[in-house]
Amino acid sequence: MQTITLKLKEAVRSGIAAVPVEVDALTPDQLFGKNEAELKAVKVWWGNREENTGDLFDVSVEGDAGNAEEVKIVFEGDLTRVKRIGDGMKAGEIEARGDVDMRCGAMMEGGKIVVKGNANCWAGREMRGGELIIEGDAEDNLCAMYRGEDKGMTGGKVTVNGNAGELVGQYMAGGEILIKGNADRLAGLNMRGGKITIESDAQWPGSDMTGGEIVVKGETEMTPSFKFVETATVDGVEYKKYLGDLAMGEKKAKGTLHVK
Amino acid sequence: MVEITDVVCSLCGCVCDDIVLEVENNKVVKVKRGACSVGKSKLLGHERIKSPMIRENGELKECSYDEAIKKSAEILYKSRRPLLYGWSSTVCEADKVGVELTEDLGAVMDNTASVCHGPSVLAIQDVGLPSCTLGEVKNRADLVIYWGANPAQAHANHMKRYSYVSKGYWTAEGKKGKKLVVVDVRKTMTAKMADVFVQVEQGQDYPVFSALRAILQGHEDVVPDKVGGVPKEQLLELANMVKEAKFVMTFFGMGVTHTGARHNNIVNAIQFTRAAHLHTKASIMPLRGHYNVAGINQVCTWETGFPFAIEMARGYAWYNPGELSATDLLYRGDCDAAMIIASDPGAHFPGESLKHLAKIPVIQIDPYANPTTEFADVVIPVAVSGIEAEGNVYRMDNIPIRLRKILDTDYLPDEEILERILTEVRALREKEGE
Amino acid sequence: MADELLIRNGVVYDPINGVKGEKKDICIRDGKVVDSVTNPKVIDAEGRVVMPGGVDIHAHIAGGKVNAGRIMRPEDERKGVEPKTKVCRAQSGYSVPNTFATGYRYARMGYTFVMEAAMPPLAARHTHEEMIDIPILDNAALPLIDNNWMTMEYVKSGDMDLLAAYMAWIIKATKGFGVKIVNPGGTEAWAWGKNCDLNDSVPYFDVTPAEIIKGLAVANEKFDMPHSIHVHTNMLGHPGNFEVTKDTYDLVKGVKASKDRQVIHTTHTQFHSYGGTNWGNFESKADAIADYINQNDHATIDIGSVILGDTTTMTADGPMEYSLYQITGRKWTNHDVELETGSGITPFLYSGKVSVHTIQWAIGQELALLVKDPWKVALTTDHPNAGPFIGYPIIISHLMSKKRRDESAEDMHKAIFDRAALPSIDREYDLNEIAIITRGMTAKALGLHEHGKGHLGVGADADVAIYDMSPEERDAGKIQKAFLNTKYTIKAGEIVVKDGEVVATPPGRTIFVTPECDDKLTDEMMVTLKDKFAKYYSVTLNNYPVQDAYLPNPYEIKAPWRS
Repeated sequence: MQTITLKLKEAVRSGIAAVPVEVDALTPDQLFGKNEAELKAVKVWWGNREENTGDLFDVSVEGDAGNAEEVKIVFEGDLTRVKRIGDGMKAGEIEARGDVDMRCGAMMEGGKIVVKGNANCWAGREMRGGELIIEGDAEDNLCAMYRGEDKGMTGGKVTVNGNAGELVGQYMAGGEILIKGNADRLAGLNMRGGKITIESDAQWPGSDMTGGEIVVKGETEMTPSFKFVETATVDGVEYKKYLGDLAMGEKKAKGTLHVK
Repeated sequence: MVEITDVVCSLCGCVCDDIVLEVENNKVVKVKRGACSVGKSKLLGHERIKSPMIRENGELKECSYDEAIKKSAEILYKSRRPLLYGWSSTVCEADKVGVELTEDLGAVMDNTASVCHGPSVLAIQDVGLPSCTLGEVKNRADLVIYWGANPAQAHANHMKRYSYVSKGYWTAEGKKGKKLVVVDVRKTMTAKMADVFVQVEQGQDYPVFSALRAILQGHEDVVPDKVGGVPKEQLLELANMVKEAKFVMTFFGMGVTHTGARHNNIVNAIQFTRAAHLHTKASIMPLRGHYNVAGINQVCTWETGFPFAIEMARGYAWYNPGELSATDLLYRGDCDAAMIIASDPGAHFPGESLKHLAKIPVIQIDPYANPTTEFADVVIPVAVSGIEAEGNVYRMDNIPIRLRKILDTDYLPDEEILERILTEVRALREKEGE
Repeated sequence: MADELLIRNGVVYDPINGVKGEKKDICIRDGKVVDSVTNPKVIDAEGRVVMPGGVDIHAHIAGGKVNAGRIMRPEDERKGVEPKTKVCRAQSGYSVPNTFATGYRYARMGYTFVMEAAMPPLAARHTHEEMIDIPILDNAALPLIDNNWMTMEYVKSGDMDLLAAYMAWIIKATKGFGVKIVNPGGTEAWAWGKNCDLNDSVPYFDVTPAEIIKGLAVANEKFDMPHSIHVHTNMLGHPGNFEVTKDTYDLVKGVKASKDRQVIHTTHTQFHSYGGTNWGNFESKADAIADYINQNDHATIDIGSVILGDTTTMTADGPMEYSLYQITGRKWTNHDVELETGSGITPFLYSGKVSVHTIQWAIGQELALLVKDPWKVALTTDHPNAGPFIGYPIIISHLMSKKRRDESAEDMHKAIFDRAALPSIDREYDLNEIAIITRGMTAKALGLHEHGKGHLGVGADADVAIYDMSPEERDAGKIQKAFLNTKYTIKAGEIVVKDGEVVATPPGRTIFVTPECDDKLTDEMMVTLKDKFAKYYSVTLNNYPVQDAYLPNPYEIKAPWRS
């Protein structure tokens, strides 16, 4: 097992502006096999310039890894303007100690990311596999699609311990999302597969859904185009089961919405 | 005195092109026909920025064009993340140079769509846009719906030239042969003219669209008695009007793009139009504000692939409104310099965003002083497009029309200013030997 | 000092001049092919294939609906991103590339001219604005003239001279190249949500599509137009439509061409060669269309061959795009244009696992292989409708290799074996025939061979493609690779591509045609046209014609009145 600790230098956050650093080049699969000098020389984008990782982060390495699965990257320091943590990652583990900026775990294919704080928008965008755990809140567009795509998340598992913003899992086609708090407007919009569980409240969940399943355990404000089917029991709890969204026409309305 | 006919108005997205002016001694002395009162006021002209200026010790000091351009280039070249914002009140030829400058600098480029009809563009990217030119509306539409829009005040000529009040081939009787529906949160001036006024609760447009779609899809049974404050009977009445019309035209405005579900309201409005198409011919169009906001979206798209909110830091375009919209960027304090052209964020952006703009170096390019001038570090006055400079613009229905040059001026056009800044930026890079 | 270039020892395919793979030098001075040079820069093309620059007869590369396709599909744009280089602007897009990528990618395939196939007259400025931004390529655009109210009214009244006057005015006002016809009558009907078959009456106008096509063919031949009418026939994409296509050819059989060329070119004919009565018994009728073309000399076609994968369909045929969207439920844009035309756009995925798509894929190639005379057939994908233009090398490799076709067919839906003819066709194209269907035929059908395009004779434009392959190459994969990225592309004497990389980006020229109409006729026509502007258009007549500013590099072809 190898642990690579990357601590953002304070100087990066001291200018008049908070220009974000993009760390999509810093995933376990890409860093595996590099020694400390090589790690420090990996290029990352900071605004319109490429910089050495070692110039933006304090880098330390402990232990050895036999493959990418055995690499763990720990991000420390003020990460609120560090974008794309674990973007496209295929294996290994990332731990982000603090609130992270946009697109954390976007396009993720495998491995595990733990965010020990809040995640800004588009965490888990178009996620394909692996696990993403956000211990705080997630902002809008969690696990949504890229603009214009008709497929968002297709696999993997995401857990948010806090609340989630708007449009959780838009165009979701597979995988699982668990929100322990509330989900803001339109969770599961255009959903076609997979499962979203919201343990607290939701507004307009499942609009335009054509497949997949949404369970809301708290209060639900529904859109007016779902059809009540029956009372159903999920994990021992009784729910009203609706089918929808009929706004899409009967042939396509194959989504399931369970509400209290 | 000379009379000039078929002048094109460079005010709003209507781009009226049948204006008659009288010009004397290189001044517009009278607007004889064609323009609405706001357009008239623009054509008659008002006070201009007199000279290029650079801020020194807190004071704007007059300087030459050369000095202002050089200073602008230095600011932009030094910046790690410059924001180039505005672009909707100038011509496409200038917008093109703007894209090239963005690419050269690795900058973020955004236009005023992101604070007006950006949500409409996002919606189009989800579901497309069944639409038409304004002449189609004039000749064919027998049911006109304004949703969250108040053209009687915001686009004064719109109903007369293109929609409810206009007369065309199959609509020779004008409004007598048409129905007007207005959907809004309050009874606006436009709503007072309507055959049917549907009053929606603030922020509840989304479920109202869903209900209408379900009805048009044949599922009125699942729709509850009241949706978003609208009684079911009224929804059924509206759906019937849609089914019975030959040509349904929906225009929507900022009342629906920026409230509640925002861009998803528009997705739902378009989905409503698609559902209406199961029964009759139906089209939908955003009522766009600035005269060339459609144009900057067009130019930005054919040159970069994307209509607004792009970043070219890595040498190619990355598009993501919400991440790269000017307001988000400024709110987050993400950019370290800004160039504001042909727009006025000083008057239109939220306070938090303006705070950051006041902190960073700002270049303003505009014919007129406005609240943005108050904190700009370099101010470059330009010719007024459509009066002192010519060029292409796109009407709200994406019809390209060429603005004319009517008066002579010593002010340089936007295009030339931008080209000179680009040349200076390249010279700086060459000097540094990159 | 003159700018000279010598391409030495290449194996030259220049079919217009009867050169079929001869070892030959090409001499270039000041952008033109010449007899000899004195002090040239030399390109050694020893053993490599040399052809004139490619001439694309039909693609959608610029204008309102192309850009609407881009706006609607950021997911397509992000697929093709490439960063800027020292000479190239940033690129985006796969099926609808940005303007810069369009120029670069065509040039890398050895193409130097592309015809934008559908320009709505009212939005002509938009098409030209984008063409200005397409580097390297010479271009032209075909204005839509068939669903126009003026056209239909003159067709109804039977006054072909006034129809010709209107046709001439529109081509001049739009700085267009010729007459484009797209689902005549059907697009006007679509403004009410309807469609028209060939002999249906257009709602409110009391004319038939057949009469419109015949009328415009007659009007076109009243001038020395370089090109014939360019027709997207009615009922595109409908099972059984091959009969409509054949009937359309018959309509204009008696019309005499004003020049030595076809009187009708039907485009993306693959979409119009369908048998069966529904999607279940859908089958190829490419053989019936090819038979007609083989037996008659007044019609030419381009194939509109399918490239498997995702693409963006776009056409002025509004009702057809609506039908397609009804099938897929995907996003759909429509844009009807007052008094003239319309357009629709929707994404589409061609899958080799779907029977209908597989048969469509076969039909395009069957047309090329079953039409005996390659001078009657052009290679296209109706970019981006049947697939993006960067798929041309895939088609070329299939046309040149039976083995390649068999390998592809193996992986596809088995319908290809019983409802298409492709697996039973043995013919293989040679390089000379490829040169014909990608430059010689297309230049001739457009009349551009008289203006320096599509050949390498003395006086021709020095547009040359040098492919990194030997004329003996039989490996389909290597052929495909060679045709995707040239060793060199030379445009007007300048090296624009070297080793597959764009090295220079000079602006292209816009070629436009000026049909010269009698003033008295024009004046009479203008009375009616002015009334249309006063009452029904939403812009004024004075602001309608395309200003000179939109053609910074114009090339005019005059078309005198003939009869």
